[in-house]
Amino acid sequence: MDLILVYVLNALVYVGIFSIVALSLNAEYGYTGLASFGKVAYFMIGAYSFAILVEAGVPWPLAIGLAAVIAAFFGLLVSLPAIRLREDYLAIVTLTFGEILRIFIKAEDWLANGVWGISVPPSFATGNFSKQLIINIILVGAILVVCYFFMRLLANSPFGRIMRALRDDETAADAIGKNRIKYKAQVFMIGSAMAGVGGALFANFIGYITPDSFLPIITFTIWMMVILGGPGSNIGVIVGAAAVQLFERGTIILKDYIHLPVDPTNVQNILFGLIIIVILMYRPGGLFKESKVNTLGTRRAMRWLNPSSK
Amino acid sequence: MNWPQILLNSAVTGSLYLISAISLTLVYGLAKFPNFAHAEIMSLGGFIGFWISEQLGAPLPVAFLVAFIVAGLAGFLSYRLIFKPLSDKGASLIHLMVASMALGFILRHTEGQIWGFAPLTFQKIVWPSWELGSVHITLDWILLIVTAICIGIALHFMMTRTKIGKAIRATASNPKLALSSGINTTRVLVITWFVSAGLAGIAGLFRGVETRVSPYLGWDILLPTFAVAMLGGIGSFYGAMVAAVIIGLAENIGVVLLAQAGLSTDYRMAIPFVILIAVLIFRPQGLAKAFRGN
Repeated sequence: MDLILVYVLNALVYVGIFSIVALSLNAEYGYTGLASFGKVAYFMIGAYSFAILVEAGVPWPLAIGLAAVIAAFFGLLVSLPAIRLREDYLAIVTLTFGEILRIFIKAEDWLANGVWGISVPPSFATGNFSKQLIINIILVGAILVVCYFFMRLLANSPFGRIMRALRDDETAADAIGKNRIKYKAQVFMIGSAMAGVGGALFANFIGYITPDSFLPIITFTIWMMVILGGPGSNIGVIVGAAAVQLFERGTIILKDYIHLPVDPTNVQNILFGLIIIVILMYRPGGLFKESKVNTLGTRRAMRWLNPSSK
Repeated sequence: MNWPQILLNSAVTGSLYLISAISLTLVYGLAKFPNFAHAEIMSLGGFIGFWISEQLGAPLPVAFLVAFIVAGLAGFLSYRLIFKPLSDKGASLIHLMVASMALGFILRHTEGQIWGFAPLTFQKIVWPSWELGSVHITLDWILLIVTAICIGIALHFMMTRTKIGKAIRATASNPKLALSSGINTTRVLVITWFVSAGLAGIAGLFRGVETRVSPYLGWDILLPTFAVAMLGGIGSFYGAMVAAVIIGLAENIGVVLLAQAGLSTDYRMAIPFVILIAVLIFRPQGLAKAFRGN
C-alpha cells in the first residue's frame, strides 16, 4: 500500500479512538460539568484489561465489553470520595488516580510486565498489514457510530436533562429531588466505561502497550478536543478530536521528514496550550454550539408555538 | 529502624513540600482555583538557578535570588495575561483549571526547547556532609530546613503584622467586602501571585539542587504538594505547615515499611495520595479549622 495512504488510514483509526474518548469526556464535562482530569487512567484501564483478558484467552468482543465494565467500576470507586466536593477536588483526585495507577502498573511486574509493557495478541490475524488496518478502521468506526448515537440519545433523554441541570444549577437540581451524587456517579461510570472501550481499541490497534503510553499529556489532549470542539456538542467534540489528532499525526510525519531547528513536538504542544487559552478567552463555548434538546415532545411543542416553521 | 535518620529525612522532605505547598495555597486561597502551572513554575526556578550557577558561574545565593525574581515574574505575567482576563470574563473554575494546565504545557515545552528534556545535574557545588552517629547529614539539607522555617516565619509576620498581609487575608475571605472597604484587590492579587510564584521557584531550585533539573521537576512534586495543601486546608498556611510535617513523616516512614514488606519503593509517591484520599473522605475541609484558633 502507498505510504501516504497508510499514514492517512492510521490517522483515521486514531481519530476514531480518540473521538470515542472525547465523547466520554463530553458526557462528564460537556453535559454534566464534571472535571475529570484523569481521563487517561480509564483509557489505560481499558487498554490493560483488554490486553490481559485477550492474553488469557477471552474472545476479543467480550474483552472489549469487560474492559468497559472494569473501567466503569474504577470510575465509580474513584469518583465516590471526591464527587460530593467542589470541582477542583474531583480534578485533583482523578489526576492523582492516573498517576498512582501508572506507578502501580510499573511496580507490579507480575501483572503486566511492569515498565517493559505487554504485547497484545492480534484479535484478527490476517497476516496482511493493509487488511488488518482496514478491519481496524471498520471496527473503530462502527463502535464510534454506536457511541455517538448512544450519546445523542442520552443527551436527549430525561437522564440527559438531569445531567444538564446538574451542570447549570446544581442547587436547583437538588431542590427538585434529584440525587446529585447518584447521578454524577452514574455519569462518571458511563464516561469511564466509554474511555475504557477507547483504551481497548487502542491496545488492539497498536498491539503493544507500556505504562508510558499513558502519560497525563493524553488527558490534556482529550480536554483540548472537547474545549476546541465545543462542550455539549457531540459533533463538535468529534471534529475537535479529528483536528487535534490530525495535528498530532502531522507533527509526527513532519518529524520524520523535515529537519527543523526546533523540536516540532515542543512547538506543537506550545501551540496546543496557546490555542486552549485563546479559545477559553474568546470563544469559551468552543467551535460548535451545544445542541438543543431534540425529542419528539420538544419538536411538537416548537411546532405548536411557531406553526409557520413547518 | 534508624529513627534519627528517618526524622531528618522527613524534615527535609517536609521542608521542600512546605515551601512548595505554601506558595500553591497562597494563590489557591485567593484566586480560588488550583494552579496546575505551579509545577512548571517550580521547574522554571530550577532551570534559572541552574543557568545562573552552573552555566554563568555565579554563587548560589545569587542563583536563588534570580530564580525567585524570574519565577515571580512568570507568576505575575500569567496572572496579568491569562488568569485576570479569564476571571474578568467570568470563566468557571474548570476553565481556570484547564487554562492553568495549558499554561503549564506552554512553559514545560518552552523549557524543554531551551534546556532539553534530559535531566541536568548541579556539579560545581560539592556539599559538605557529616556523620553524626548513625545520621548522615549534608549542608544543603540544613539550608533547606532553615530556609523553610525562615519562609514560614516571614510569611507569618507578613500575614499578621503588615498591611499587605491583612489585605491578603481580607481578600481571601471576602473579595467583594475587601474591595468595598477600599482594598485594591488587584494589587493584592498581583503581589500574591508574584510572591507565590517566586517561592515556587525557590522550591524548584532546592529540588533541582537535591536531585536533578528537568521540565518534569515540578510535576514530580506537584501531587504531594496538593496533598499537603489540601491536608492543611486550602488557603491555610498554618495548616500547610503541620501537613508538611505529617506528609514528610508518612513518606519517609512509609518507604521503610514498604521496603520491609517487600513492596516496590516506587510507591513512595503514592503515600501522599493515599493520605489525600483519606482526607477527602473524612475531613475535606482539611486541618485548617483546628489551627485557625477562633
